[in-house]
Amino acid sequence: MDVEENNPKVNHVMASSGATGSISVLLHPLVVMNISEHWTRVRAQEGKAQQVIGALIGKQKGRSLEIMNSFELVFTVIDNVVIDRDYYNTKEEQFKQVFSDMDFLGWYTTGDSPNESDIHVHKQICEINESPVILKLNPFTRNADLPVTMYESVIDLVNGEATMLFVELSYTLATEEAERIGVDHVARMASGDSAESSQVAEQLQAQHNAVKMLANRVRLILEYIRAMERGEVPKSHEVLREAKSLTHRLPVLNSEIFQEEYYTQYNDVLLQTYLASITKACHDLHQFVTKFNILCDRQGIMGRRMRGLFF
Amino acid sequence: MSSQSNIALNNWLMANNVENISSVDEIYRYDRKQQQDMLAAKPWDKDPHFFKEIRISALALLKMVTHARSGGHLEVMGLLLGKVDANTMVVMDAFALPVEGTETRVNAQSQAYEYMTAYIESAKQVNRLENAIGWYHSHPGYGCWLSGIDVSTQMLNQNFQEPFVAIVVDPVRTISAGKVCLGAFRTYPKGYKPPNEEPSEYQTIPLNKVEDFGVHCKQYYALEVSYFKSALDRRLLDSLWNKYWVSTLSSSSLTTNADYTTGQVSDLSEKLEQAENSLGRAALVGSGVGVSGSSIEDRRSEDRLAKAARDATKTSIEALHGLLAQVIKDRLFNQVRSKPA
Repeated sequence: MDVEENNPKVNHVMASSGATGSISVLLHPLVVMNISEHWTRVRAQEGKAQQVIGALIGKQKGRSLEIMNSFELVFTVIDNVVIDRDYYNTKEEQFKQVFSDMDFLGWYTTGDSPNESDIHVHKQICEINESPVILKLNPFTRNADLPVTMYESVIDLVNGEATMLFVELSYTLATEEAERIGVDHVARMASGDSAESSQVAEQLQAQHNAVKMLANRVRLILEYIRAMERGEVPKSHEVLREAKSLTHRLPVLNSEIFQEEYYTQYNDVLLQTYLASITKACHDLHQFVTKFNILCDRQGIMGRRMRGLFF
Repeated sequence: MSSQSNIALNNWLMANNVENISSVDEIYRYDRKQQQDMLAAKPWDKDPHFFKEIRISALALLKMVTHARSGGHLEVMGLLLGKVDANTMVVMDAFALPVEGTETRVNAQSQAYEYMTAYIESAKQVNRLENAIGWYHSHPGYGCWLSGIDVSTQMLNQNFQEPFVAIVVDPVRTISAGKVCLGAFRTYPKGYKPPNEEPSEYQTIPLNKVEDFGVHCKQYYALEVSYFKSALDRRLLDSLWNKYWVSTLSSSSLTTNADYTTGQVSDLSEKLEQAENSLGRAALVGSGVGVSGSSIEDRRSEDRLAKAARDATKTSIEALHGLLAQVIKDRLFNQVRSKPA
């Protein structure tokens, strides 16, 4: 990341803190994994860490973006980063064949906060899509938050000159069921289906972890409010309002209709379990009868007669 | 994440035997010479059971699962990129092919071949140096195994494009079971009889596919699947989980799987009916001819009943898991008693 390191004037490319992003972004974890793999692969091949650049694709609906996939881009460094447009065109055509409903939305790179060279790349990307977003992933961060930040660009007057500036965007992670299970699976890397581990325990473990996380967060809010009460932190009405509205939402759903539906579902599952138990009992009984018959046959004619009784 | 849950997570990772590829993610490096030596030596020609394990990168797994899911009830197909390491196949990446459809159509046609070559060529320019090592396709809702057409496709590929592997993903079962349902297979050459056929892991197969499964299931074997991830992947996944716990709570597997469960139950009822019929027949034959004549028939019908019982157990366990989650959430969020002021 030598580009970033000897560039202390990073703040020159960020818009003043008053500006906020105007679009909402939904980010799929696949994209994050894709970038991570791209970076790791290049590092393993070249022996040292390098900046990587790629394209983000997904769906756009009004002012909300859904970034669903990404692919790598080729670039050359001659003073500045130059994107290989031909490569982009072939890649885009390939993607269109498989994911016909996705469009080019922006680009990604690695490194910490954006800098002059990013602006330079961004201007090239603007020729493809007039308002692309940029995703930055910092592979060297040490804190537990997801080291991904997203920006969009605005044109602003700085010292009487129109300059391109970045504005940070907030994003949410998309949670599609299959993707969640996939992420869960690789995050945990359960080594195969070992027969000895109980399925129920596994299921409850996942629930337990989530509930524990929830309890942690609630405790955090509680402690914050207590600290506010004691006057250790300044009162923030906004946070208080949010906490209040959070507690007001409980119980989440307690209407008659919900209860009815809930119990119907409950009973359905119980019925299913009951039927499964009957099936199992039938099977066991059948096995018993077969074994019994084999035993009785040895005793001769008596057994034959008994056999007739059973069927 | 707070330190407490950090410790818990670490313990858990340790207990689950998580493997990290250290020393700067050595597995991500591609050694052209070594691979070509391997290709020239062709050790897999001598032993039809040469490849025993397969390692899949986190990225490839995620790509396959999401792609399979996006296909819905249609089968989708893609190609795997990777390399060979002794008798282990390593899948580094996967990409989708512009083919989708039902069983008959899911085999690559010339248009797909063109796409494949172009894609691999362009991937080489961005340091993705691996070659195609196999293909994947989805079996939405009917389990991971190779059908007759899959077997012949795979056999053809193994003849001409060794080393090659076939991976099958079931997106529907992935969701219903709450874990990734995936199998990796290689076929035996024609006429080869596997020496000792250990029974593979039991899985539910719908009635209308069971014949296809039974006819071909001796022609291929499953590889042992494991997964790997890089150091950066691991860190990112940790932080992803930091945001993902919410969806563990907010999703209800009972609702998402309603379709699948209903299908399972009706399939089960058909299977039971079949078992009942054959049982009745067996009893008739048994009492008429005597013990020796009925034993084979008996065993087969018993087998049917046993399988049906197993399927029933599995389906209801999955449903019960969903119910467990629902009950927990009901306790947590709905049964709030405010303290008297």
